[in-house]
Amino acid sequence: MSEPLDPWDRAVLEAMNVEDELVTLDELSRRTGISSTILEALAREGLLIGSPGDTGPLYRIGDTEAISAGMELLGSGLPLAELLELARRMNEAMQPIAQDAVAVFERFVRDSVEATATTDTEAATRLTEAFRTMLPATGRLVDHHFRRLLIASAERRLLERG
Amino acid sequence: MRIVTRPLADPVPILEHHPDLVWLGPDLQLIGFGTFARLDPAVGPDRFVKAHEAFRGRLSELEAHDEVQTFGSGPLMFASFSFDENSHGSALVVPELVVGCRRGQWFYTSIGDHDPTWLYHPAGTGLGSADRPRYAGSSIPDLEWLEAVDRALELIEDGALEKIVLARDYAVWSKSTFETRRILERLHNRFPECFVFSIDGLVGASPELLVRVRGSGLESVTLAGSARRSTDPAEDARIASELLGSDKDRREHAAAVRSVDEVLSPLADRVFRDPDPVLVDLANVRHLATRFRGTLEPTRSVLDVAGRLHPTAAVGGTPRPAAVEAIRRLEGMDRGRYAAPVGWTSLDGDGEFAIALRCAELSGARARLFAGAGIVSGSLPEAELEETRIKLLAMLQALEVGNG
Repeated sequence: MSEPLDPWDRAVLEAMNVEDELVTLDELSRRTGISSTILEALAREGLLIGSPGDTGPLYRIGDTEAISAGMELLGSGLPLAELLELARRMNEAMQPIAQDAVAVFERFVRDSVEATATTDTEAATRLTEAFRTMLPATGRLVDHHFRRLLIASAERRLLERG
Repeated sequence: MRIVTRPLADPVPILEHHPDLVWLGPDLQLIGFGTFARLDPAVGPDRFVKAHEAFRGRLSELEAHDEVQTFGSGPLMFASFSFDENSHGSALVVPELVVGCRRGQWFYTSIGDHDPTWLYHPAGTGLGSADRPRYAGSSIPDLEWLEAVDRALELIEDGALEKIVLARDYAVWSKSTFETRRILERLHNRFPECFVFSIDGLVGASPELLVRVRGSGLESVTLAGSARRSTDPAEDARIASELLGSDKDRREHAAAVRSVDEVLSPLADRVFRDPDPVLVDLANVRHLATRFRGTLEPTRSVLDVAGRLHPTAAVGGTPRPAAVEAIRRLEGMDRGRYAAPVGWTSLDGDGEFAIALRCAELSGARARLFAGAGIVSGSLPEAELEETRIKLLAMLQALEVGNG
């Protein structure tokens, strides 16, 4: 049986969910113009991550950005089968890294805040702020690094060919 | 003009002289040179029987003398049919010279006076430089194919279909001509248990024996239900066990077996088949397989049986007419000769036909590759797309540079 969350953990959990509107898959399909067949396939592949809802999984409206990016790749000529395969491999590679990153946050930020905060409210505020700073920073970091990797790989490829 | 079949004392280098026609089976290898006749079976459901009649008619005036009298000796016709009975494009070629090897016994058949000893001399032309295959598009985008699978699932849910096989194509180009010999060598090395063929630009390696007729003996192998291979032996064994126990794959396989059974039973006495599917392991993929054996009615030819079996549920679906109609509507392309019978026949109706799977239509520096997946209730569109991607990879690798 899980123990009740500490107030500062609950605050972080809430912070995770206030950013985005949660919608059903059909609604996501309506807003993106992408058929629910495709969105269901992406969800089954683990590339579209739902949150439990009363009548089925709910999806963050912010996910439309990623879906639109995927559609742009397809529109540029990348076949869906190849894109899904790359996405699957990326998903597999990133999952353990994401888990480790959460563990690092827990050990070096959360535990430290818990040890040094004088009140529950202060702990909740500091942790929420840290989360709100670190999540987008991590996103930028990963995005930047992967871009650099892509460019470096492309450069190597072109030099090999030349 | 005479037709003679004589033994050859020494083995012939099979692919070195760039044969025009190739059929490499596990027990029998045949290569053909030159064109004595090119026949047209036209279109329609009786095109297989018409093909055999045209072959017999074309050679009826010629006297044949066969000193070898084995399976594959005597004059032969290599044939590759269009998938859709309404589509033209079937290729029927009677070569001037056939060299064969059956279980180590070499022979040749010549229509006219062709001395095969030149085959023992080094070939004048080797292989040219090769470029990699470059993607050139598909008849329909993957996204639309995924939605076609979804519509097929709706038809299955509505009860209009039990199973349907949907295929997609993949066009590639290259800066140099795709060399048939190079591709055949790779396919033969990678898939030694398959029928490797080249007939009029259609090149491939098929694991699926549609029908073999030798005298009154009939054999057929049905493959349906597939899974990927893994390089990790433990994972590979787990996938194999999962395939054998997969309800979806077993249902898909059962539909294919039933469709073959229904055709063979009225044509043959005592049809025996494996009571349970067995696994056929290829380098890149593993299939569920059921083998059939029977004694064929004496008036039946291999082409007659092939025509009745085609399209099996392994490449069409069940019920057959509804599946073929849905394929025309949903796939958005003409399959050409993909998934149709390919093989050879003798004048007396013996022969072997496989289903043209894992193949490409070559045309100079362009190639069109195909792969399909069986859809039954419970199929997931993205999983079927992935299955076709893995199947396409096998042919793409055969076209790659440096995959000797």
